Amino acid sequence: MNATPPPTPSGNAAPNVAQDDILVVDSIEVVYDNVISALHDVSLTVPRGKIVALLGGNGAGKSTTLKSVSTMLAGERGKVTRGTITYDGTPVRDQTPSDMVGLGMVQVLEGRRCFGHLTVEENIIAGAYSRSLSKGDIEAELDRIYGYFKRLRDRRKSQAGYTSGGEQQMTAVARAMMAKPKMLLLDEPSMGLAPQLVAEIFNIVQELNKHEHVSILLAEQNTNVALRNADYGYVIETGRVMLQGPAQTLLNDDKIKEYYLGISKEGRKNFRDVLRKESESHADLHHH
Amino acid sequence: MTEILFFFEVVLAGMLAGTMYSLVALGFVLIYKASATFNFAQGAMVFFAVLSFVGFMELGLPFALAFVVTVFLMIAVGYATERLVLEPLMSQSEDTMLMATIGLAFVLQGLAQAVWGVEVRRLDLGIGDFPIPWVAENLGLFVSALDVAAGVVAAVLIVILALLFRFTKMGLGLRAVADDPGAAASIGIPLKTIMLMVWSAAGIVALVAGMLWGARAGVQFALVDLALKALPVLIIGGFSSIPGAIVGGLIIGVVEKTLEVYVGPFFGGGIEGWAPYVLAIFFLLWRPEGLFGEKIIRRV
Repeated sequence: MNATPPPTPSGNAAPNVAQDDILVVDSIEVVYDNVISALHDVSLTVPRGKIVALLGGNGAGKSTTLKSVSTMLAGERGKVTRGTITYDGTPVRDQTPSDMVGLGMVQVLEGRRCFGHLTVEENIIAGAYSRSLSKGDIEAELDRIYGYFKRLRDRRKSQAGYTSGGEQQMTAVARAMMAKPKMLLLDEPSMGLAPQLVAEIFNIVQELNKHEHVSILLAEQNTNVALRNADYGYVIETGRVMLQGPAQTLLNDDKIKEYYLGISKEGRKNFRDVLRKESESHADLHHH
Repeated sequence: MTEILFFFEVVLAGMLAGTMYSLVALGFVLIYKASATFNFAQGAMVFFAVLSFVGFMELGLPFALAFVVTVFLMIAVGYATERLVLEPLMSQSEDTMLMATIGLAFVLQGLAQAVWGVEVRRLDLGIGDFPIPWVAENLGLFVSALDVAAGVVAAVLIVILALLFRFTKMGLGLRAVADDPGAAASIGIPLKTIMLMVWSAAGIVALVAGMLWGARAGVQFALVDLALKALPVLIIGGFSSIPGAIVGGLIIGVVEKTLEVYVGPFFGGGIEGWAPYVLAIFFLLWRPEGLFGEKIIRRV
């Protein structure tokens, strides 16, 4: 399957609007402070049990998309003004973030956001706040979590604020897993980390997906790593989905390479320019 | 020998008075921890709580019942504050919240006086503000019974709160919210519930502080200003620390009493009123986060 062209404003080529999509985002528009428009038209679906990557540069709208889904947007004076979001059959419109956690969706915010003054273990235990667990249950859950995050077991008594960036990212994901989510939203887990650590974290993400059956929507600037670990990908720019397709296809796509890796004779360019150039060359073909 | 005994007495009196400052400061710390807001209405809450308590007693309620009713009243005040002030201002800047608490202070002061009247009331806790005879006779120390009672009550309250924060789920939630409310919300910690709990706890602390202060100085409007003594306590101890509130209160108590007795005469007395603030200024220069304030963790 080839990467599909950018969707027309009226509709979009969302593939298989199937019965088993855990998340369906249907042409949403998001406005901050009633005036600043952040998303114009974003549609995407996450099939149950899959990993979907949301790619795009700074300010493209990746975080805003994730926060619309988790309803964290309200806390930042943002609002979904058009379109719908359906999670596991439930419209998310009137939910609060803690409702969403109750429904099994947890977001790992950009920049890790550990509770710096709490220990690593207290951070992870805090993740179980929405569940009523006994002391014994919590011990068992911690054991399960440390099975994936082996590095954290040794650091459990350290104050989270003084652990390394990689450990903080792991703490943040582990904390989210403690809520026993059906779906995780990961916002830039690779940010500011050495390649080795990025690989380690994505390995854990893969394992969680496989063994805990968590569906994952992943926002990343690190296109390569994200696509290599995802099943499907969406590219957004200035609040619109510009391109989508299976991860493998996108990974080999010349346009993606040109845009993100800057492999082009004319140097780095805007994704829209790439598409424009392409349509121009199509027009040229017609002329001849 | 009597010199040393006298000094000891001054220090002890200072420490006991200090626990009363600690108690008021504790109310500030609770709210500061949860919302990084300096609650200007804390003094008004002290006044509102104790005036209502005395009011209920005047209506004929027995001591214990009046106390319980006032506790529920303070929880209701906490709930109303959460719904009417905090929730609409959620995600606004800290400055906005600060201004809102100043407004809240006026509302609470006005409401209390409108309902219960403006005259100064006496509050008799059954503990006199005079030296305990046994201690005076056997140790030669003149220590006020009320001071001792206040110290014990404050200590018990502080220990209970510290244990709650350290070992309960709610406490963990509060500490998480104190560190990063956004991240706390993302894992399903209900901010509203935490806020409600914190404001209720601050209200109950205000009631106890108001009763102890009121028993000594009378239940009157001046309690609002007295509560501002908590400010130097917080600067010294740290705005976000319960142990800080305790130690800060003790330091202020001891320093102001000893200075008053030994240095005061050179200034013509009355330095009790301003010495704590001078001390606070030195602390701001030397250690702005306070003795126990949580250091701002920065990794580069």
